[in-house]
Amino acid sequence: MLLVEEGGNKIVEALHELNVQTIVSIPKVWKFDFSITNAVVYMWVSAVVVFLLFFIAAKRAKKEPEKLQTFAEIALNFATGHLTGQIGEKGKKYYYLILTIFTYIFITNIIGLIPKPELFKPYTPTANINVTFSMAIVVFLITQFQGFRRHGFRGYARAFMTPSGVPKALGRPLNVIFVPVHIMGEIFKPLSLSVRLFANTIAGHLIILVMLGLLLQYANVIILPTALFVIIMTAFEVFIAFIQAYIFSLLSVVYIESAIYAGH
Amino acid sequence: MAFDSATAANLAAGVAMGFATIGPGIGIGILTGHACEAVARQPEVSGDIRTVFIIGMALTEALALYAFVIAIILLFVV
Repeated sequence: MLLVEEGGNKIVEALHELNVQTIVSIPKVWKFDFSITNAVVYMWVSAVVVFLLFFIAAKRAKKEPEKLQTFAEIALNFATGHLTGQIGEKGKKYYYLILTIFTYIFITNIIGLIPKPELFKPYTPTANINVTFSMAIVVFLITQFQGFRRHGFRGYARAFMTPSGVPKALGRPLNVIFVPVHIMGEIFKPLSLSVRLFANTIAGHLIILVMLGLLLQYANVIILPTALFVIIMTAFEVFIAFIQAYIFSLLSVVYIESAIYAGH
Repeated sequence: MAFDSATAANLAAGVAMGFATIGPGIGIGILTGHACEAVARQPEVSGDIRTVFIIGMALTEALALYAFVIAIILLFVV
């Protein structure tokens, strides 16, 4: 018991890194807080980085690609390679959406890992459920919109009902079970999409911060294994940042595909 | 130390996280094993297998992460 009470301070202090820090405070409008925080600044920075990356790469496009163009082309191929594989030719419309989602998540995750000066506390915007949920909501709205537009209201509603092979006398009453289950499934898609990204990011940061807190607290006892662990975890986080961006874009593609081919 | 609601919440967070990792752990183990087997059998479709593997792993891993979110809520909110 003594160990926890004595050593808790610096570990808890390290966890305060996860708090949002207000930079310019703007008075609340009704219930909404529009203050500029470090999370918002990092989101702006990553949006500008994504924009500049592709803008400059497109401006300087040549037949023999240079460094930047090669990087942009690899990102494009990687993020959208599964699009035509999953959806087919119909999927080409979503190039921009999926590419933006992939690069934006990747760059926000990476920006959270870069050490920064005291003025702007380090913060990963994707370690905030609001950010990830708003991205998932966009994917959800596009999915539903595509479902209604391609199949019409009737056709898309049929995808929520009993499969067509079932006899009518049995299928009609079974709708009581099928429709709520399908609707719940659609609602849980954006929920799991956002929680996955948020929890993966925050879990990695929590582990690193707790280990750093341990390092600060018991520096004389366990310096080497903890420091090694922090270094290895940070390297692993770069990999996680990439994998999570890939999974988010891949699952968005899968969801959009399921709406385009609903009922098949 | 009295066993009050904060202690109970801390204990619950630990227990939830510990139990929640069992299932996804077994699941990811089975998934990886079968993916390895499939790649060893047919190396020419390893790209497709990798995509399916990553989707499956994301879906399996999410279960543990839901428990992680519950644990965070228990620790910091309750």
